[in-house]
Amino acid sequence: MDRNYHIFSDGCLERHNDTVRLVTLDDEKKYLPIEKAEAIYLHGQIDYNTRLISFLNKHGTALHIFGWKDYYAGSVMPKRGQTSGRTLVEQVRAYDSPAQRTDIARKFVDGSIHNMRANVSYYNSRGHDFDSELASLDAAGARLTETTAVEEIMGVEATARRAYYSTFDSILPDGFVFNGRRYNPPTNEVNSLISFGNSLVYANVVSGIRATALDPAVSFLHEPGERRYSLALDIADLFKPLLADRVTFRLLNRQQLTPADFETDLNSCLLTEHGRKTFSKAFEETLEQTVEHPRLNRKVSYQYLLRIEAYKLKKHLLTGEEYVPFKRWW
Amino acid sequence: MTDVDPVQRLLRTARDDARDESFRVTGVMMQYYVVCKRELWFHSRHIEIDRGNSAIVRGTHIDETAYSDKRRHVSIDSTIAIDVLDDGRVMEVKPSSALVEPAKLQLLYYLWYLKHVVGVEKSGVLAHPTERKREDVELTDETEQKVEDAIRGVHEIIARGSPPPASKKPVCDSCAYHDFCWSC
Ligand code: SF4
Repeated sequence: MDRNYHIFSDGCLERHNDTVRLVTLDDEKKYLPIEKAEAIYLHGQIDYNTRLISFLNKHGTALHIFGWKDYYAGSVMPKRGQTSGRTLVEQVRAYDSPAQRTDIARKFVDGSIHNMRANVSYYNSRGHDFDSELASLDAAGARLTETTAVEEIMGVEATARRAYYSTFDSILPDGFVFNGRRYNPPTNEVNSLISFGNSLVYANVVSGIRATALDPAVSFLHEPGERRYSLALDIADLFKPLLADRVTFRLLNRQQLTPADFETDLNSCLLTEHGRKTFSKAFEETLEQTVEHPRLNRKVSYQYLLRIEAYKLKKHLLTGEEYVPFKRWW
Repeated sequence: MTDVDPVQRLLRTARDDARDESFRVTGVMMQYYVVCKRELWFHSRHIEIDRGNSAIVRGTHIDETAYSDKRRHVSIDSTIAIDVLDDGRVMEVKPSSALVEPAKLQLLYYLWYLKHVVGVEKSGVLAHPTERKREDVELTDETEQKVEDAIRGVHEIIARGSPPPASKKPVCDSCAYHDFCWSC
C-alpha cells in the first residue's frame, strides 16, 4: 500500500474490471497493481472519469496531478479513512493558541535548519569550505529561541535557507549554476530540479498526512490556505534537504541529468519528459531507502518517515507530549 | 466532575440512573488497564492509529472454535459481552500466557457486573486453549475489591488530560500504537 506509480505517457486511465488500466495513445495497455498503490502520479495528459475516481477512492489510492509549467497541479484525494472530530478540534485549538502555534512552527524550522545543516556539513567534509555557511545556519538556529511570532520564525527560516542555498553553486558540477532560488517559473536547470523535487516531497507528505486524522489544511508555520494542503508545506520543509536536494545533487554530479534534459525558453527552464522520468525514478529509489530507527528498533523507509512525522504531530496535539521534529540522525 | 466514587457512578450509569456524568467500563478497558494504561487512555479517546499493512492488532479471542462447549453469547447493556456455558458458568478465553492477568480481571469484572447490576451470581472459568487447561474464577471479597480498585483506576486514567507516559514493555511490539508511542 505504499508504492507510488508515475505515469508519463499521454492517454487514458480507466477502471477495467477490478484493475486500473492505462491505455496510451498508441493503444498500448498497462495494468497497475492497485492494492499496492499509495498514489498514482500523472505527469502526462491523461483522461479519466468518475468511475476511476470512485474505484481509487475505494482502494484509498490518491491521484497526484503534475502539470507542465508548475509541476504540482493538484490532487484527487480518496475520502479519508481516518476521521476524528477530536483531532480536528485539537488541531484548530493549537493553531489558535499563539503560544502553541509558535512552538510547533519553531519546531518545524528547527528541524529544517538541522537537516539543511546535515547536507552542508556532508559537503564540508568532502573538499568544500562551508564553515561560514555552517556558522550562519547555527546563528539562525540560535535566534529561533527568541522568536515570539510566526513572521519572525518565517524570517529565521528564510535567512537559514539563503545561507543553505548559497552553498549550492560550489556543490554543483561545472555547467550548472543555481544563483539563488527562483520560482514560478524556475529560471535555470537547478531551480527547475528543486521545484520538481519539492513538488514530489509535498505530494508524498499529502499522502502521509492522510494516514492520520489530521486536517491537511490547518497548518502552523505557513498560513492555512496558502495552499489547499498547507500542513503539507510545513512538514515538507523538514524533508526537502534529505529528499529533493540530495537527489538533485546526485543526478547532476553523476551526470545522469545533463542540459539536454531541460527545455529553456525566454524566462523559464523546465525538465523534459525524459528528465522528469529520470528524476522521479531516483526520487522513488530514495523514498524506498531505509534507515535503522533508534526507537522503533527496526528499519524504516524514508517514505515512512514522512508518515510518522504526521503521527508525531497528531500525538502532540492529542496528548500534549512534546513534538520532536525530524532531524536526520545518520 | 463530582466526587462521587467511580464505582457508584458506574453502577448508576449501568442501572440507567446516572445523575451525574455517566461512566462505563467495558471488558476491553479492564484488559488495557492491566496491559497498558497508556493504551487505555488512547482507547478512551478513540484515538486510532493506522499502521498500514504491518498493522498488528491484539486479538482478545484467539479461536472461537477452540472449544466444543455449547455456549451462548450474551451481551448486556452493550457494555459487556459474555459467553455462558450450559452449566451456567461464564467463560473467558485466555489468548496467550502474557494476557492471563488481563483476561482474568476482565472475567472477574463480568462476574462483578452480573452480581451488582443484573443481580445474578455466577462463577467463571478461564480457558487456556493452547494448554488445554481451565481455571475456575470466583468472586470473593478479595477479588471484588480488586475489581472495584480497577474501576477506580480506569476512571482515574481516562479522566486525565494527557496519557501516562510510554514505557517500553514486551506487549509494545504487538501494540497498534507502537509507532505512535515510539516514533517520538
Ligand atoms: S506501544 Fe506500548 S506504551 Fe504504547 S500504548 Fe502500546 S503497549 Fe502502551
